[in-house]
Amino acid sequence: MDFIQNFPFFSIMLSMFSGTVCSVLPRRAARWVNTLMISLIGVLSFVLLSYLVVRGESYVYMMGHFPAPWGNEIRAGILEAGTALFFCVIMLLSMLGGRKKLQEEVVESKHNMYYILVNLLLSSLLALVYTNDLFTAYVFVEINTIAACGLIMIRQNGRTIEAAVRYMIMSLLGSGLLLLGICMLYDLTGHLLMSNIQAAVQGILEDGTYEVPLLVTITLMSVGLAIKSALFPFHAWLPDAYGYSTVSSAAILSSLVSKGYIFLLIKIIYRVIGYNVFGNSHIIDVLFVFGLMGMIFGSLNAIQENDIRRMIAFSSVAQIGYIYMGIGMGTGVGMTASVFHILSHAATKSLLFIAAIGLTDVSGGSRHFIDLTGAAYRNKWAGVAFTVGSLSMVGVPMFSGFISKLLFAQAAVQNHVKMLPALIVLAISTILNAIYFMKTVIRIYTPEEGSEYESVTFKNMKTYAVTLVCFILLNVLLGVSSQPIVDLIEQGLSMFA
Amino acid sequence: MSYFVLLPILFPILSGIFLLVRKEMKNRQSLLITVGAALVITTVLAITAMLTVRDEIFLVFNLTRTLPVLFKIDGVGVIFGIVGIIVFVCAGSFGFEYMKHEEHEKRYYGFYLIVFGILMALCFAGNLVTFYLFFELLTLSSMPLVLHTGSKEAVMAGLKYLFYSLCGAYMVLFGFYFINRYANTLSFSEGSVLNPELAAGHASLLLGAAFVMIMGFSVKAGMFPMHAWLTAAHPAAPAPASAVLSAVIVKAGVLGIIRVVYYLFGASFLQGTWVQSVWMTLALITVFMGSLLAYREPVLKKRLAYSTVSQISYILFGLAVMDPDALTGGMLHVICHSLVKAVLFLCAGAIIYKTGKTRADELRGIGKEMPVLLWCYTVASLGLVGIPPTGGFVSKWYLAAGALSSGIPGFFWIGPAVLLISALLTAGYLLPITISGFFPGEDFDYGGLKKREPGVLMTLPIALLTALSVLAGLFPNVLTDFIARLAADIL
Repeated sequence: MDFIQNFPFFSIMLSMFSGTVCSVLPRRAARWVNTLMISLIGVLSFVLLSYLVVRGESYVYMMGHFPAPWGNEIRAGILEAGTALFFCVIMLLSMLGGRKKLQEEVVESKHNMYYILVNLLLSSLLALVYTNDLFTAYVFVEINTIAACGLIMIRQNGRTIEAAVRYMIMSLLGSGLLLLGICMLYDLTGHLLMSNIQAAVQGILEDGTYEVPLLVTITLMSVGLAIKSALFPFHAWLPDAYGYSTVSSAAILSSLVSKGYIFLLIKIIYRVIGYNVFGNSHIIDVLFVFGLMGMIFGSLNAIQENDIRRMIAFSSVAQIGYIYMGIGMGTGVGMTASVFHILSHAATKSLLFIAAIGLTDVSGGSRHFIDLTGAAYRNKWAGVAFTVGSLSMVGVPMFSGFISKLLFAQAAVQNHVKMLPALIVLAISTILNAIYFMKTVIRIYTPEEGSEYESVTFKNMKTYAVTLVCFILLNVLLGVSSQPIVDLIEQGLSMFA
Repeated sequence: MSYFVLLPILFPILSGIFLLVRKEMKNRQSLLITVGAALVITTVLAITAMLTVRDEIFLVFNLTRTLPVLFKIDGVGVIFGIVGIIVFVCAGSFGFEYMKHEEHEKRYYGFYLIVFGILMALCFAGNLVTFYLFFELLTLSSMPLVLHTGSKEAVMAGLKYLFYSLCGAYMVLFGFYFINRYANTLSFSEGSVLNPELAAGHASLLLGAAFVMIMGFSVKAGMFPMHAWLTAAHPAAPAPASAVLSAVIVKAGVLGIIRVVYYLFGASFLQGTWVQSVWMTLALITVFMGSLLAYREPVLKKRLAYSTVSQISYILFGLAVMDPDALTGGMLHVICHSLVKAVLFLCAGAIIYKTGKTRADELRGIGKEMPVLLWCYTVASLGLVGIPPTGGFVSKWYLAAGALSSGIPGFFWIGPAVLLISALLTAGYLLPITISGFFPGEDFDYGGLKKREPGVLMTLPIALLTALSVLAGLFPNVLTDFIARLAADIL
């Protein structure tokens, strides 16, 4: 066994460990430990990714030298390592971009707590990505939920506490359903390791026994994870949670937490249930339809919103809809498109959140459109970044959003039944996106004579500006040289199966 | 060498961005010199590129494995490119004087140059992806020109422009998804790129896709029923920008349709289908309706915008007939309409600049005050009506001849008839200004007149464009030979 194969385990443990250390360090040191640790895990994931690309196949890692079915397992393939790397990059950038705002919005004594929660969140996300064991997945789903609640609540005002309670209730409902599903699956198959369950499920199907319980199980797990990732119509918790929490939390929640659950769902589809079984059940159609509805209703809600943060939050509902539509398409290309959109949406949405905070800061802290008039002149970097994010969301070529849309369309034309609804909704949703994002861009670029608010220059926000530039580059990178990434995703998915 | 094609695209875009980001210049003079130099250099670069790297493919990079971004200068690109250059340079130098009374000149010229570069990129785009990319960018970058004055009316017009254009672009994208599936390549090539094996059995689906794409591009070209933005957006911009929008930017839609119909699906695929019939019907409705609305419109710039709606659909009708003569006529009309409409909008701008009058019925006796300007206006109007020896006559002749010889049931005579009626209406809405301008009538008070001829910076571009529009009619063979050869190639 190569030493590199330990890296997934190291990543998870390092992240947890640094969380513990952060609790006793002074504030500045905790910040540095946090930043360094996320970067280090990113580097580890990158090394692992290149190792796996060279090796060309995934591997299973035994925890504590107990073989299956007693021991716990970690599994690493290209998709896992790539996702872990991407999560680290987005998390690092979100933390850097929201750092100043965090200092303003959160009481000083809570800063260490924040870094602990972020580290805990990262470790649970990594565990969700790497684990090969359903029960471990469930445990980390819960850790993830608790950490996310903390991230929402850390900025203590009435709205965030309300939002956190809402999030908690909905999220626990989701985990409850997931747990029920896992229990039933354990009942049916007698296993908790993913590969064993899959073999057993095949047996069940061949015998023709327990078909209905299996369907119920699939439903429970899909719906549970759909609630946690805010698929329409389970999105009620989302706008407040993303809209009022401190900006790093909003960026991390929207681009990583919900994506972690979707990644878990994809993993369950491929590695637990089996892609064909899932494709033949009707759950896939239900996800498809909910995805389509989310694309429309999320955007409609966003259009009605007068608050820029909540508008971006509602736009997430629409984008989650895209991802579920791709999953529901039932083709390999559709799944590739969904995974690519996970990346593309994560890169774009965190950019938008971070850029929006720069705009609201130079508008007296108000998030209402009327006050944002001309904000892009007062904070030029945030203005440009917000425009780039919007263009990407709208799907202008050269940015990541266009490639996602293209992939979704390519997937749609392969499925003759779902082709027309998918393409039509894609077109409508794109236009709706354009309506609210372009409206905002025009608003922030409408000059306002004699503004009462001060403008900021590069000197006052070096970290912030550099973060924005990194985000923009990431977006352009995804948009311009998407082919290698798509190839990697395809390879990763084939390793899944 | 083939990278030469990038120069006329990147140079104006970069110089436009340079203007936008740098600080306000101390005096107006240096701004104008910068802009003038940028326009001249771009012209030289574009013409060099057209002469040296015709038909060479330049691959910029691969967006995805099957979708490269590439440029190629072909015949159609050259025609649209040259028209664009002429109008941009003339309207630009007209603006040197005109924009004095508008604010934010630096921003205006920054976006003006960016639009110029993007237009060049559209003309030289070698495949649908590249075209789509710059088509979107054209909308986004030309919007600040519409928004320029910042009045409520302008903002509403700008939003209208944006949403209509984006809707159009997404209709194109919608069709793009289908053609991407059933075609060998998306590079523009004469004839059809459809893969016969893949496309077999999907003809009705592909016809639908073709229709959606034609409709999408025709939003930009202002065809009924998606024309409402045009008559709001074009008059809202400052006069030189209106001239550019009306004369060249709408032609981007026309170019898109030419690319889709003649370079992707292939004319033979669409001939005799419902797509062609519906398209011709809509074009003819637009021709007639545009003229009629222009006839009833009292505000001069709006009247000219309605006239654009009508005239562009002449071109679209010519393209829809899919006959070599009609196609030649359509492309000729691209040239003539651009020159003429630029003259008309610049004249309207000069009148506003000097007198502040915007309504057509306020212009009595204007010919006594600015004779040169009104002469140019008159000659250009005659061109739009289609009276020999102007270019408009030649193009309409070809359009009518092509329609008559195409033998499409019904349309072969309805088409020319509608074109004729619309020509009469065109005379009806353009020439009264000349008549009351030169012959204000006996009760007119000549005492209040003063010499108000605009300066040479404004008059010269107008006169130049007018002269070109007449030359196009006096020596049409140069153009018709070139275009007819092109039409024969792609049909």
